[in-house]
Amino acid sequence: MLKLIVQRLLALVPLLFIVSVLTFSFTSLLPSDPVDLIIGDTGTQDQYEMVRERLGLNQPVHLRYLQWLGRAVQGDLGTSFFNSVSVMGAVMQRLPVTLSLTAISALIAIVIGVAAGVAAALRPRSWVDRFATIGATFGQAVPNFWFGLILVATFAVNLRWFPATGFTPLTESPSEWLRSVILPSLALGTSSSAAIARQVRSAMVGVLQQDYIRAARAQGLSARRVIFRHALTNAMVPVVAVLSFQITVLLGGALIVEQVFAINGLGTLAIAAVRQQDIPMLQGLVLVMVGLVVTVQLATDVIYGLLNPKARPS
Amino acid sequence: MTDKPLLKITDLEVTYWGRSLLGLGGKPFHAVKGANLSIRAGETLGLVGESGSGKSSIANTVLGLVPASSGSIRFDDTELTSVKTRYPPAVRSQIQAVFQDPFSSLNPSMTVEDIVTEPLRVHTGMNRAERRARAVELLKLVSLSEEHLGRHPHQFSGGQRQRIAIASALALEPKLIVLDEPVSALDVSTQNQIINLLYERRAEFGIAYLMIAHDLALVHHISDRIAVMYLGHIVEEGPSDRVYKAPAHPYTKALLDAVPLLDPAAQRQRRAARKSAAVLEAPRVSATGCPYRNRCPLVMARCQTEMPPAYTVDGGGMASCFLHATDAGTASEGARFKEHAAP
Amino acid sequence: MSIEPDTLSPAMPRRARWRLSGAQIITGIAASVLLMLAFLAVFADWIAPYDPLRQSLMEALQWPSTAHWLGTDDLGRDVLSRLIYGCRIAAIAAAEATSIAVLLGVPIGLFIGYRGGLWDWIVMRIVEAVVSIPGIMVAIVIIAILGAGLHRAMIALGILFSTSFLRLARGVVLAEREEVYVRSARVVGASDNRILLRHILPNIAPPLIVQVTLTVGAVLLAEAGLSFIGLGVQPPQASWGTMLNTAAAFMDFNWFLSVPPGIAIILTVLSVNLLGDVLRDSIGRGIAVGVRPETPAVRFEAAASPSSEAGLTSSPRPADEILWVESLQVMVSARDGGEIPVITDLSLSIAKGETLGLVGESGSGKTLTGLSILGLLGAGARTTHGSILLNGRDLRTLPRKQIEQVRGNEVAMVFQDPTTSLNPAFTVGSQIVEVLRSKQGLTQKQAWNHAVELIDRVGIPRPEERARAYPHELSGGMAQRIAIARALSCNPSLLIADEPTTALDVTVQQEILDLFRDLQDEFGMAILFVTHDLAVAADICDRIGVMYAGELVEMADVDPLFADPRHPYTRGLLSAMPHASDRNPPLPTIRGNVPRPGTWPLGCRFSNRCDFKSAACDARIPLVGTGRQVRCVRAGEFDMEAVS
Repeated sequence: MLKLIVQRLLALVPLLFIVSVLTFSFTSLLPSDPVDLIIGDTGTQDQYEMVRERLGLNQPVHLRYLQWLGRAVQGDLGTSFFNSVSVMGAVMQRLPVTLSLTAISALIAIVIGVAAGVAAALRPRSWVDRFATIGATFGQAVPNFWFGLILVATFAVNLRWFPATGFTPLTESPSEWLRSVILPSLALGTSSSAAIARQVRSAMVGVLQQDYIRAARAQGLSARRVIFRHALTNAMVPVVAVLSFQITVLLGGALIVEQVFAINGLGTLAIAAVRQQDIPMLQGLVLVMVGLVVTVQLATDVIYGLLNPKARPS
Repeated sequence: MTDKPLLKITDLEVTYWGRSLLGLGGKPFHAVKGANLSIRAGETLGLVGESGSGKSSIANTVLGLVPASSGSIRFDDTELTSVKTRYPPAVRSQIQAVFQDPFSSLNPSMTVEDIVTEPLRVHTGMNRAERRARAVELLKLVSLSEEHLGRHPHQFSGGQRQRIAIASALALEPKLIVLDEPVSALDVSTQNQIINLLYERRAEFGIAYLMIAHDLALVHHISDRIAVMYLGHIVEEGPSDRVYKAPAHPYTKALLDAVPLLDPAAQRQRRAARKSAAVLEAPRVSATGCPYRNRCPLVMARCQTEMPPAYTVDGGGMASCFLHATDAGTASEGARFKEHAAP
Repeated sequence: MSIEPDTLSPAMPRRARWRLSGAQIITGIAASVLLMLAFLAVFADWIAPYDPLRQSLMEALQWPSTAHWLGTDDLGRDVLSRLIYGCRIAAIAAAEATSIAVLLGVPIGLFIGYRGGLWDWIVMRIVEAVVSIPGIMVAIVIIAILGAGLHRAMIALGILFSTSFLRLARGVVLAEREEVYVRSARVVGASDNRILLRHILPNIAPPLIVQVTLTVGAVLLAEAGLSFIGLGVQPPQASWGTMLNTAAAFMDFNWFLSVPPGIAIILTVLSVNLLGDVLRDSIGRGIAVGVRPETPAVRFEAAASPSSEAGLTSSPRPADEILWVESLQVMVSARDGGEIPVITDLSLSIAKGETLGLVGESGSGKTLTGLSILGLLGAGARTTHGSILLNGRDLRTLPRKQIEQVRGNEVAMVFQDPTTSLNPAFTVGSQIVEVLRSKQGLTQKQAWNHAVELIDRVGIPRPEERARAYPHELSGGMAQRIAIARALSCNPSLLIADEPTTALDVTVQQEILDLFRDLQDEFGMAILFVTHDLAVAADICDRIGVMYAGELVEMADVDPLFADPRHPYTRGLLSAMPHASDRNPPLPTIRGNVPRPGTWPLGCRFSNRCDFKSAACDARIPLVGTGRQVRCVRAGEFDMEAVS
């Protein structure tokens, strides 16, 4: 297992390198000149040079990249061009919000998805299967933010069971936190649960056709045991691969759903950064998000290795 | 037949490299070691071995699908191993193949006509009408008919699909056809139909066959010579009848003994005579000594450290076994073996 | 010697009749929805009642009325008109982004898939890097560079989605490259380009089409999302996403505003996805890759209904009889909803310590016989008649719980391919332990020790070490020994071995056959040995039943069968065996092919291939005899050579 982790970590090196290069170069392609934006129309050439030097923009690209990378590794993502806050600080402040949302959505998606997928696979073409398949197809067609709007209209505005907007941090009040996170997580998780349900169903159906399932039945092991221990273990193998992708999708979706619920997460930060062409903020956001995704991928790789002995390095 | 062989393989080695961290470096796997074979024009050589013997690797190397690590493969006057990328068309068109699995060896999205005329399309300048006419001829050669031209592979049975593959292989009238387990996936009665077909066509066109198989009895029916492989080495080679009836290598004998007889009484006797030894480990590759040494009932001390060279055998051919060594020390072993080999 | 052309239709997965038309209904609805949307998109100028940009502040935020069927938004613009024009935007968006994605992703994917090497490594690392950034973020960054607006946003989405097409194309090429027919093409001498274009590319079309439909749906959702946050389509243009943006801002005033654009999006994406599903299913059937024998999924339902005519004969059964199958009939569901028999009138019995061989070629029904005894026929097959008495109990009448009890404890099975009959996720030792613990109630320690003993008993050296290995780490022979150990772990009275040596090398086969004999001597169980190889049957069986096209044609003790085969099929099979004759080709064959289920004649099923056919062979022929049985009216008439 250790060998697997080391192998995966090593494989991350080219990935992170390329991500950093891409991020850095992409954001350097932004059309606007930040110096201009700062000094405004009335700036003089001297002021221009001064600000440029202050921001470090007069140095060649590869040096700038290395400086940025060096600082980033130490946790310093620079300062925003506009309100001079530390990028890392701004991101860290909002990270728990987006993380909560993503995590609870993932949980909902996995629980519903796996349950529905397994139920459908066990009784192919029964009403359970039809229901789950139709539900999944439907669920993947619904825009998550629209669903969020509907949920707000019904449960928050009309029924007043949950707050319509805002977010209460976990540390303040767990019950309030849960209340504020339920609706957005439901909105976000639904379409992912549909995708997971389909994946689980198709993997299960495939596994149930395998010889070793038949052999286990022939050996007289109970149906329950065969399904949950023998079949599901193998069926989850391809599903786990999809899970890490789904979590990436959830993270992206969170950025939009946050707008519906007026939650101050990374989404608002990102949208503002685009509008203001705030390069350091964009770079920092991308890095942090990639960091999250990569951590999740590592975790799923480990789980994958646990489930599938053939994937472990010998 | 001329004396010069059509295909001559000398000291062939084929090595595969395993995967490792980040795709660089890895353990080498020697699939074929020091193989020597030759086939004359119009002759059929049967190459027999179990899984892991390296027989398919030899086939793939001759076909140019896998590069040889060292050694020489001479086809007519061309040295195939020195060709870096692909065989020149003049050679390519003369070496064709029929593969094992009739379900995946034909492109499912092509029609029979497409499949059978593909070699013509690649190598000749024939126009559509000419190709179609030739396709009809070829189908007749394999006992299929013109109405099959427009169909797709999945509409045929396994035996019929092998016929289509054979028709395609015959299209360019090659000098050599490599058949990699051509009938293993078929029912017994269908197997015989295909063997009969191959036999007839060979007589008609004078094609040489390199027939790879694991069934010695089947190969014996159609081959002029047989070579037996074990763990990458050719352990015995010789005229088909001689190898089948008087095997010179303990492994060949073991192979023959392992196939149950069709006479239950004789089979019972054989089973009783078999020493019920404990299961030996799966064959393990080792650097020195005879590859068969940890399974051989007649193993000697010498076998552990030295690789036996090819000794000539009475009746034709060779065997790579110290039992046939002509020096005095092992003469008695040779006698032992002949006793052991007596039916 | 001519062969009759045998046209086999593709083996399509069996579907009940209603399901097929269900798919047709769905396709119909989805296609009409999309056609309607396309129609609206093209003819929006004529159909929309109002100009979508026409503002009328006095009429702002109205609920649906006769003047405005779907109400008005915050600037008094007619929602219905905006919705209709939104179709146009949606169509443009989908077309642009998807085309860019395909044109960018597929060629690159094909190239790196075929070339491999450094190019592949570099491009795949870049793709992985891009994919590790959440999609929305990538789109946001690209929009930041290019600017907001419909077309630029679609370029961003096109670039984003091109990664999935790239991986798809590459994946297909990688898979197809390994296919044997690509090897054949290389041997024929086709150039790499020709192979790529002529051989591989046609096989990429089906998954590509499916991926396109999925992408269209994803693009629509993404565009809506981007427009919703103001980075996609810019106001005042009417896209469904911008409409939702407005709706969100005015939820308190008029919540209805969010409904029409939402429904429009859902309907469109749903139709596209459904179409994609149906396409995927039908394409999977159409390009059939071959007539593979299918292993149906294991059913998890109750055991088959008790046989209505389970007549136990009046004569008492022998005391040491373990298995008695009488008049077994098995049917499978056909495509058109009916049922076809695959096994008819099958009766056999096995006594304690006896080995009965069931010999037949593919399509004879021999494997199904074993499965039906265990009650493990897959979905679509069922026993419709007959009784299966194991140790005196009719297995067909038992409820599920009891059948589970019987399996493993009284009857066990060894399958053909040992590498797939063991669960790849668990160690081999733990799989034996599991059986012992759940069926015999042993503790972990007891079970482990017993498992190691069993592994030792089946002849595996260093059993303790081997028990901790995974199936893929073992050779075929070793894995089969483990499978046998597991099957015998609860000491069943009957062992069913389904072609247990077919997948093994011949020297390993010999060892396994010896092992079977050995274990039978020690444990004393009855063995039902299913095989296609008569010689193997000769080695290990005491009696042999020969099956052809779903029925037994001959049953005899092993010596008489080989010395004096009575059925023409048995005789043909014997003479066709490779080591039966010493001659050169032409080798003996049986002309013709096995008739498929559903095309069986009333009379003898072998008659169209038989050299001895007579008029009497067209009537139904029973299995005749007591100790020795034959299903042939002319069995005693001619002198058949003994096969030595």
